[in-house]
Amino acid sequence: MKRSAAEIVREYGPFEGVKAVHGVSYDGTHVWFASGDKLNAVDPASGEIARSIDVAAHAGTAFDGRHLFQIAEDRIQKIDAATGKVLTSIPAPGGGGDSGLAWAEGSLWVGQYRERKIHQIDPATGKVLRTIESNRFVTGVTWVDGELWHGTWEGDDSDVRRIDPDTGRVLEQLDLPAGTMVSGLESDGGDRLFCGGGDRGNVRAVRRPRRTAPR
Amino acid sequence: MESLITAAARALEAGDPLGALNRVALRNDAPSLALRGIAMAQLGDLAKAKVLLRNAARAFGPREAVARARCVVAEAEIALVSRDLSWPVKTLAAARATLEKHGDLANAAHAGHIEARRLLLLGRADEAERTLAEIGTSPLLPASQVVRELVIAGIAIRRLRTKDARAALDRAARAARQAKIPALSAEVDSANLVLDTPTARLIARGSEHPLLLGEVEKLATSAALVVDTFHHSVRKQDVVVSLGTRPVLFALARILAQAWPADVSREALIAGPFQAKNADESHRARLRVEIGRLRTQLKPLADISATKQGFVLAPRKTRDVLVLARPVEEKHADVLALLSDGEPWSSSALALALGTSARTVQRSLEELARSNKVQSFGQGRARRWMTPPVPGFPTGLLLPGPILKT
Repeated sequence: MKRSAAEIVREYGPFEGVKAVHGVSYDGTHVWFASGDKLNAVDPASGEIARSIDVAAHAGTAFDGRHLFQIAEDRIQKIDAATGKVLTSIPAPGGGGDSGLAWAEGSLWVGQYRERKIHQIDPATGKVLRTIESNRFVTGVTWVDGELWHGTWEGDDSDVRRIDPDTGRVLEQLDLPAGTMVSGLESDGGDRLFCGGGDRGNVRAVRRPRRTAPR
Repeated sequence: MESLITAAARALEAGDPLGALNRVALRNDAPSLALRGIAMAQLGDLAKAKVLLRNAARAFGPREAVARARCVVAEAEIALVSRDLSWPVKTLAAARATLEKHGDLANAAHAGHIEARRLLLLGRADEAERTLAEIGTSPLLPASQVVRELVIAGIAIRRLRTKDARAALDRAARAARQAKIPALSAEVDSANLVLDTPTARLIARGSEHPLLLGEVEKLATSAALVVDTFHHSVRKQDVVVSLGTRPVLFALARILAQAWPADVSREALIAGPFQAKNADESHRARLRVEIGRLRTQLKPLADISATKQGFVLAPRKTRDVLVLARPVEEKHADVLALLSDGEPWSSSALALALGTSARTVQRSLEELARSNKVQSFGQGRARRWMTPPVPGFPTGLLLPGPILKT
């Protein structure tokens, strides 16, 4: 396992009126983050909030190319990113103990915080397809280039880690400075990982290290 | 953080404890227990809240130090509000240190305020002031600011510094409006009331009128001889003769002061403090002894001269004798008078000071407690009694707001 300090390349926020960041996503243009009763789109160049959708947003956020998925209470709502309308909702696998959310390969991936699990679910029905065990509280989840990353927060330590999707084994770990929380995770498809900053109300961009060998 | 926990915490923050309970009522994981505890506290079930918070603190893992510390702070606040002052202070101090170390300054300040409120409740104003000073200069949340200013006002009132108290209450009112918590605004209003409601009665030369706290404050610099029924003392400026443990002497001094410049008959002096209807020779003998003792005590301030029918007070170097009395004098006034010094008293100490039996004092206290004129904390031998405190700390709960954020 490779372990190193996370390299924070940029910080967005804290934003006015935002008490906490509960989930993070990226639609190719904007970084979205969940702030309780809103989904906010941040322009990563200017760092300003470009747009907001009024919707319950209590934990993870994901984007499938057209829709935003947002955990609210014990459900996952599917939201039309263009209009902000809630289209459908499915039960969340953790029954409200859910935290992170990611979209990849036709599935939703849901972190179950205190259970230290990541569920792969059918986005149409919410049916659990399989479950990966982690050994830390799972905050955010993301896929990039076939790599499964998740954020952790336990005790006073937070890190983002790449795990083996089959075994849950930690392959790589980037430690955030002590007391810095990761409350949501999303890759930009390149070398940046956006990390929600919890009750600091900000979002950090952390550099994703280049792999030395393919997985 | 988890979805439902976030939703429940937001409901709590919005003042909807039932909404919070709806979301986590059936869950027993640590954050849910903590949320349920706070919701129960806000709903007034302090006993249940305490158990839930204690269980939550235990359920958080050993590495979740901050979450644990927040539970401890919440439990301490519940203890304070329910006047359980025997609650372990060291645990709160440790929790406060943990929060500080991990950068949760808002909750660390909250913990400090609880400490200061407790000290003020115990009448330890100097220590309360020191604790407030430690909390540091980082900007406080409006709700915390209100508490801080209320404690400052309470300390100022204890020390009879009306101007300081008023200034602190003005700041508290502003912060309460910012915090948008109606209960806090009400708390500040009721504290203000203390400054604008007569807190005492001045009796001089046969007439009396009500006094505001500010006017009471001025008496400290007045050249008059003041018989102070609040502190059971006779004083003139800096010279204070405390008769707190000599109730008979104090009662005599008061009767003499109230009649001044006239004298008081032996019969009247015996009927008052000795509570004897018909004065006989033994009462007269006792009166002579007690007047002798009072004379010795008051030496720096006044003499007591015998007259044809009784005694008269002869103050030194002043032309004024005032009696400072409670606005309404009532049954058990003697107990109240002792308690109004703001110190916690054991019933046995009260009995000693009043020269009555512990059972009599106990009965008075229980009666006064039923009409909310006194309150107690602690159990058994450690039980202490005091009058409802000066405004200085909210009676309601604030509890660590962001307890479950991370």
